[in-house]
Amino acid sequence: MPTADAKPLVWNDELWEELCRETDAAACYQCGSCTATCPLADRGQLNIRQLIRLGAFGDGTSDPGSSAPGLWACTTCAQCNLGCPRGVDVVEVVRHLRRRGWRRNQVPSGLRTLLWAEFQDGNPYRLPPSQRTGWMRGLEGPAAGSSDGATTVLYVGCTASYDPRAQRTARAVARLLAAAEMPFRLLGDKELCCGETPRALGVDGLFRDLSARTAEVLHSVGANRVVTVSPHCFDALKAGLSKEVEVVHYSQLLDELVSAGRLKASGYHPGLLTYHDPCYLGRQHGVYEPPRRLLESAGAKLVEMPRTRRWALCCGGGGGNMWRESEVGGRLADERVTEARETGASVLATACPFCVTCFSGAKTAGRGTVEIVDVAEILARAVGVPS
Amino acid sequence: MRSVVCLKVVPRPEEVRVNLESKTLERAGVRSVINPADLNALETALALRERHGGRVTVLSMGPPSFEPYLRVALAVGADEAVLLSDRAFGGADTLATSYTLAQGVRALGGADLVLCGEESSDGGTSQVPQGLAEWLGCSQATYVDELQVPTPGILRARRILEDGTETIEVPLPAVVSVVGGANEVRFIDYDRWAMAQQAAVRVIDSVALNADPASLGLKGSPTVVAGLREVRKPGRRREVLTLEPEEAAARLVEELHRLGVTPT
Amino acid sequence: MTVPGAVWVYAERHRGAFRPVSLEILGHARGIADALGAKLVTITVSSGEDSARELARYGADEVVAVGHPLLTRYDTKVFTGLLENELRAADPSVLLLGATRDGQDLAGRLAVRLRTGLTAHVTSLEVDAGGQLVGWVPGFGGGIEAGVVCPKRRPAIVTVRPGVFLTPAPGASASEIRVVRPALDPGSFGSRRVSYEPKGGTVDLTRSEVLVVGGRGTDGDFARLQRLAHCIGGEVGATRVATDSGWIERERMIGQTGVVTRPKVAVILGASGAVQFTVGIEKAGFVIAVNRDPDAPIFEMADLGIVGDLAPIVDRLVQELGEA
Repeated sequence: MPTADAKPLVWNDELWEELCRETDAAACYQCGSCTATCPLADRGQLNIRQLIRLGAFGDGTSDPGSSAPGLWACTTCAQCNLGCPRGVDVVEVVRHLRRRGWRRNQVPSGLRTLLWAEFQDGNPYRLPPSQRTGWMRGLEGPAAGSSDGATTVLYVGCTASYDPRAQRTARAVARLLAAAEMPFRLLGDKELCCGETPRALGVDGLFRDLSARTAEVLHSVGANRVVTVSPHCFDALKAGLSKEVEVVHYSQLLDELVSAGRLKASGYHPGLLTYHDPCYLGRQHGVYEPPRRLLESAGAKLVEMPRTRRWALCCGGGGGNMWRESEVGGRLADERVTEARETGASVLATACPFCVTCFSGAKTAGRGTVEIVDVAEILARAVGVPS
Repeated sequence: MRSVVCLKVVPRPEEVRVNLESKTLERAGVRSVINPADLNALETALALRERHGGRVTVLSMGPPSFEPYLRVALAVGADEAVLLSDRAFGGADTLATSYTLAQGVRALGGADLVLCGEESSDGGTSQVPQGLAEWLGCSQATYVDELQVPTPGILRARRILEDGTETIEVPLPAVVSVVGGANEVRFIDYDRWAMAQQAAVRVIDSVALNADPASLGLKGSPTVVAGLREVRKPGRRREVLTLEPEEAAARLVEELHRLGVTPT
Repeated sequence: MTVPGAVWVYAERHRGAFRPVSLEILGHARGIADALGAKLVTITVSSGEDSARELARYGADEVVAVGHPLLTRYDTKVFTGLLENELRAADPSVLLLGATRDGQDLAGRLAVRLRTGLTAHVTSLEVDAGGQLVGWVPGFGGGIEAGVVCPKRRPAIVTVRPGVFLTPAPGASASEIRVVRPALDPGSFGSRRVSYEPKGGTVDLTRSEVLVVGGRGTDGDFARLQRLAHCIGGEVGATRVATDSGWIERERMIGQTGVVTRPKVAVILGASGAVQFTVGIEKAGFVIAVNRDPDAPIFEMADLGIVGDLAPIVDRLVQELGEA
């Protein structure tokens, strides 16, 4: 017998048809492999299979698919996509269901404010756009960017622009490019958010708006290539810009420069080090080796964590969780930092500002455990440029 | 329920530069936003419309460059956008501004409820809503965070005062000022975006407003900015140290002791 | 202004006492009235007459006590009408009010009723060389103040924030008291009060000698700040980001649209120092700031700045203060 509070669900043709039109959900046969692979499922926080199921129903007054618990806990790490035997892009289904939540104005509190910040301030921190270039303090000469003829833009991103820790990574990348005599342009305070958070939260309209405005700015400076500091910007710009602009992550470009002998790393041996593959660089785009080669060229001895490469455990920052102080993120980061320590490494290296922030804030991090550093900073030390 | 929400577009405070000689604001290249408290007022109006039906009109007084911001309000959910725009409105202080807006409300055929943000972030006086109410000759409720219409014709408003909250009832029509942060403002509905960009924003000039020219703009403003001065900030020691927690704490204990605030 | 009119101060009553800001203004207004060569009058609206005697000790030449048993609470319609009557009859040149919520509710309505100018939230009030009253309001660019005058209409209405002027000490009774008994009935009121819920433990940051203020960098942990505040006999304040994030009550927000404070000691933790915040704390005697970012603007206005993580520093500090 259904429990007293189990309201009858009615198959909603309109919702189902829209779901099938905009995602691959029609291929889903509810096997539950996605839930089995999801790092949040065994913490009881998210049941993807169930979400997809609920996505086809409405009960007349609400849409359980868009208000289901766990929908907003998803970090969009895409580990579920590895498990699906039918090739469904499960993350896309999550985004679609979130979109419905926005239409009904049924979203967790705090997210509307975040979106307004993106829209009005061009960054999720509600910090003034005029302060976006604050990260450049101390940069001189070619490291401060050039304008004549450079067709590669160094796209800093909001976190590396405003967060003091991540700013160090941005400076390291700028100085490394300058050391390699690789000219690049900066967009200054004309740089807008790449829109990764609105996109992850299902607010496609804002993502498209930001992408269009970014495309215009890039066009106005004649850019044909963008190199990003963050893998999230890498992913969002790849998705949002036309194919005319090549988008690469800094690890890919620096790897090319080191291989071509334009950057010489020596003199710094960080010892035993483990590398965490950021979800948006590794699993989602298959970029595993360039960051590792950079670390090796810096003299590091790499040791792998059990969950490595495409099975890397998400740091908990994606999917909008960076700004929600959610429990979800906290526990994932704690676990990953412990896993790093258990390899015996003294340094946990990664190539994403979200990961650096999440790991640095983990309860299991702290003095005497592992040092959390971005790959660019390690390379900078080996090449002999300050960060 | 016919509601009118007054919106003001304000320059980003950290970007504003003042020209000391001409005593004016440097507007070139300064980014603007919709006054945050006005968005809270808009959210209040939209929530009321959900419960009681009716129409929500956004009204603003300003130059044509305000139009895109009114379109944002349409995309959020307002039904109609109206801009009072005329050189004659320029240079207005609170008296002239509230007069002009009141004429605007009249030009729209009146309203049951007029909502404003409590004050604007560009050094607002927080007096426009009260002034509007007086010009329109109707009730007012200021510093409100919640509104209800318990019976037709009566507005119940919860006011946030310094040391408590007061709930009052006033007869409609009324002018309400909504406190900043009163609610979480719903975000833009992108399904409305295209419509919002194409919608006709009704522009009303001073002639169509049927206003008394002597009450408009600079002419209608009894207060005048007579001068500008730089603020003399007290000289600060500016001793900045980078210390580990133990040393930092020791240094702070020293200083706090010297200042006489440590526990005895 | 051809005829020098009086300077009037509205003394706001709230739950049986005068709002401190009203007394602050009254104290400062004596100097203004003297500089203008004008009489100083203060007007109060209440349900009894005892308050007039108390008010008479603050240096005004006259106290106008409007009293009626029904006047137990503020009502826009009634108060605007009562003040309008007295102001039209006396024709003062200036009316000063505290920028409290009810004070602003009244001032804005009254200004339009009388078709006169209103200068709001002044941080200083002076009489210039030409004998003109100038109210200085902070410009939103930061570092700039605009001097506002109202040369052609009267009374020039000016509102003043709490804490801008100093609390005066009452003297021996000196003011003349004029009692006004208006004719009122319940139908005179424009509003009906349904309820009033006082906040437990009123916090008045404008009177705090020691303030511990938190911003974004606290990550919401205000309990930590409370512990420090408790150790050093202070109150806790916050920036707009902290109150907008719901970490602490809005009433504790310090800044341009919040409270203007003048503590002896301010400890500012995890706040970058945006100008909208600093205008509310820059009058502090001694400023200590802790921030992770060495470039945070807060260090420009600090006497002692520490670059570092506030959490371990504050925890350690609380520990050492406890052991001292």
